Amino acid sequence: MPNRVTNVGYGDRTPFLSSTASAKLRAEIDEQLDQQVLEWYANVPEAAHLEGKNVDSAYYKRNLIETAWRIRMLRVSEAKALVEIAKTSPEAAQVWANYEQEEMLHDELFIDDLAKAGVSREEFLATEPYLSTKLLTGYFSYLLDHEGPLGVVAYSYLVEYVNVKLEPKKLEALKQSVGEANIGGQINHSHTDINDDHPGEVWAAVRHLLRSQDDIDAFKRYLREHQQILAQYFEELYLDTIARAEKQPA
Amino acid sequence: MNLKKLTILPAGIDVLLPAGSPLTEVEYEVQQRPIPFGCRSGSCGACVIEVLDGLASLGDPDPDELDFLEDLGRTGGTHRLACQCRLRGDATVRVADDI
Repeated sequence: MPNRVTNVGYGDRTPFLSSTASAKLRAEIDEQLDQQVLEWYANVPEAAHLEGKNVDSAYYKRNLIETAWRIRMLRVSEAKALVEIAKTSPEAAQVWANYEQEEMLHDELFIDDLAKAGVSREEFLATEPYLSTKLLTGYFSYLLDHEGPLGVVAYSYLVEYVNVKLEPKKLEALKQSVGEANIGGQINHSHTDINDDHPGEVWAAVRHLLRSQDDIDAFKRYLREHQQILAQYFEELYLDTIARAEKQPA
Repeated sequence: MNLKKLTILPAGIDVLLPAGSPLTEVEYEVQQRPIPFGCRSGSCGACVIEVLDGLASLGDPDPDELDFLEDLGRTGGTHRLACQCRLRGDATVRVADDI
């Protein structure tokens, strides 16, 4: 050993997956996510609510609030992930840093749409995030402390893949139900995901972080676990808004 | 799997990559470094290539890349920054050796 410097990402930088193997695995992962989307629609209460004609106002506003909180809290965890990634793969770190740069202030886009829905910045800031939103942040902390950054990056691949696939349909519906002028922030957010090929960008980081078959197995598991936690959020959202209103005496 | 061929001169190396792959993948496919990538973000100019065949296969350069190529005196329309290219069809490129 020439010196005692470690954790700088030198050594064998040859990826575990060749370009072709990476493309094949990505196709397999995307198939898993397509299946997860089907399960999502089948099992999560009101999963397609924002794609419908009649949007519950409380549900819509709270979802924007939680989305902004999620972005605000996860960017801290994702910055910590960058530190860990840089220790092992400078190539992945560069891609991840660029992705974070593009996403970093997107909470403001949702806060803009909140204002158009009648929720001020002060009201947003005074709203305690849901427990499920906090637990997602907690899961990120667990991953970084005990399993490494791959699980954090997996979350972004799940979200970006699903957003690019489903968000255009949802936004078309929201243009009719909420009004195009009121969802400009969400449209801009979606533009970034699609025009900058965010699923491809995140995969470029994933490809360097996968170093073994165990990593691949873990990555698939992370995608399922993140979906479980997000499902808990959507259930909490449903119970707190639509279900609560239905329980109110007429 | 839809593979595209990139021929790199003067090394004379052929690399097959899945369609849409960034050219930075070349570094992980062959032992040599036939393209001298630097920053990989389009700002250092280390990876300037002349495209001898298949210019359209590498996608369109964005305005920042065009500005930088102009700064580097590469105004003929056949040069690219390799790190900004994705391989969408077969192409032949020559690494610029006078930068």
